[in-house]
Amino acid sequence: MAAPMAGRLAALGRRLAAPARAWLPGLTQVRWSRYGPSYLEPVVNKEVNRKPLEELSEEEKTQQELKALHPIKATASNVTSSVFSDPTISKFTNMMMKGGNKVLARSIVTQTLEGIKRKQLEKYYQASEEERESIECNPYIIFHQALKNCQPVIGIYNIQKGGKTYQVPSPLKDNRKRFLAMKWLITECREHKHHRTFMHEKLSQELLQAFNNEGPVIKRKHDMHKMAEANRAYAHYRWW
Amino acid sequence: MAAAVRRVVRASRAWSAALRAREAPGAQTLRLIYTTTTVQKRNVAALGPEKYTEAFIKNQIEEFNLGKRHLANMMGEDPETFTQEDIDKAIAYLFPSGLFEKRARPIMKEIYGKLLDIQKYQDHLRAQGLLAENRKKINLIGSRWLIKEELEDMLVEKLSDHDYSTCIQLLERLVTLPCCGIEEEYVLKFRRELAIQLKKMVIEPLQYDEQGVAFSTGEGKRKTSRATAVVYDHGSGKITVNGVDYLCYFPVMQDREQLMFPFQFLDRLGIHDMVCTVSGGGRSSQAGAIRLASARALCSFISENEVEFMRQAGLLTPDPRIKERKKPGQEGARRKFTWKKR
Repeated sequence: MAAPMAGRLAALGRRLAAPARAWLPGLTQVRWSRYGPSYLEPVVNKEVNRKPLEELSEEEKTQQELKALHPIKATASNVTSSVFSDPTISKFTNMMMKGGNKVLARSIVTQTLEGIKRKQLEKYYQASEEERESIECNPYIIFHQALKNCQPVIGIYNIQKGGKTYQVPSPLKDNRKRFLAMKWLITECREHKHHRTFMHEKLSQELLQAFNNEGPVIKRKHDMHKMAEANRAYAHYRWW
Repeated sequence: MAAAVRRVVRASRAWSAALRAREAPGAQTLRLIYTTTTVQKRNVAALGPEKYTEAFIKNQIEEFNLGKRHLANMMGEDPETFTQEDIDKAIAYLFPSGLFEKRARPIMKEIYGKLLDIQKYQDHLRAQGLLAENRKKINLIGSRWLIKEELEDMLVEKLSDHDYSTCIQLLERLVTLPCCGIEEEYVLKFRRELAIQLKKMVIEPLQYDEQGVAFSTGEGKRKTSRATAVVYDHGSGKITVNGVDYLCYFPVMQDREQLMFPFQFLDRLGIHDMVCTVSGGGRSSQAGAIRLASARALCSFISENEVEFMRQAGLLTPDPRIKERKKPGQEGARRKFTWKKR
């Protein structure tokens, strides 16, 4: 009884076809995923493994037990455990990429960060002693802060009601905010750039402006907020 | 049991069984991201009208006789001399509302009964004000629900997929109650132990070459690339790929980061030397193949805990993603032909 059952289980487990069942408890259903439904996401952070057993909370202990029993997906090719890999920078690089040319996108981003550093260092050396403390030289911090400053708080959705399309204001999810900030930055640099300037120059310029809460991307964010405020009357059309 | 009676049983098409061998974690994770539309529904029209072949009729007669013997056993009669009138009397006794009364269908009374018992117990505690202290939950980590075949074996009756999923839903609902611990052994009958993933991996022991230097080999693949890596101890972090230095073979920074990844994760960057060969695929998939090969080779040098950390970081899983095939009627795997109105 045990042997044929084990054989059957193994045979069924070997099938890689997409699941045809609608719902089952405790499993994430994904269409067309080459991984099975029980695969968990990998965690690349080295510090997670350094914690001794006593410091873990109850939830983390159950998480660990869960992880020991499930297979884990393979890590993506643009993710490493080194201090230099940043998920925001990776996302930004991917959004910058055209036609699969990751090499070009990545070189633009590295040149941008280098450009930011150079400009900030110039300012640093020309400034007096008191001002030097306030000048931020770390390009990563400037990048993150600039993107955070560009994120809108409230967004507009087009809702069709009674034949007319209304612009309904609605709060945005975190993912959507980050996406919009990056998208606006990239489109702004692509469209309003002199054809003789390099992309990384224009990008570093825009990022520094956004870091100081000025510039066209911040203006676009404020425009979005004003639109939302203007269409306040239709806020009740939102059903989610 | 119902199949034993003179009822034509339709062969129900089994659903894709890819989900059978799955492990369900604790009741917390009920994340439904997408409900597929590619469910294999019974296309009755495509089957054609019911064909009464010889084999089909013989099958039905055999099932009927088997069911008749089961029924006789149940009634305590002799299976050999069980006539049609006895069958009718037995059915009238067992199913007073008849066989086809919808409201008299058995619906997992046992499990539902347990659920009602737990709720009664909870109400009892709540009335006395003792509910908050007496919460007893069942620990579901490390086990999975029975698959449909196992449940059929346990109940000695055929189940439809709908019945099976209703049964599992009811059990899940039972498990979410705060005082379900009182029926723990009953619920655990429906669970099977999950094997710890790490035990399924085989770790090769270290080998030693002529100079006494320890080395280990590993193989890796990604898309169409195949790589073999030999990792030597007491090295200085030199990596040779296909006879060429890694800086020349992988001019792109991302690929070199991938090569370094397993070593950097274990803080063993300058300790090991590596010689690898790789063929097939493009630059990114070759880098991924070497990463897997070196991670596997490194397993021989490190402790079991570190192997588990590497596995949880996703370094030891071969990436199953491959190029999706082109479908007929489309231009590519996903891209459709330009839509023309006329």
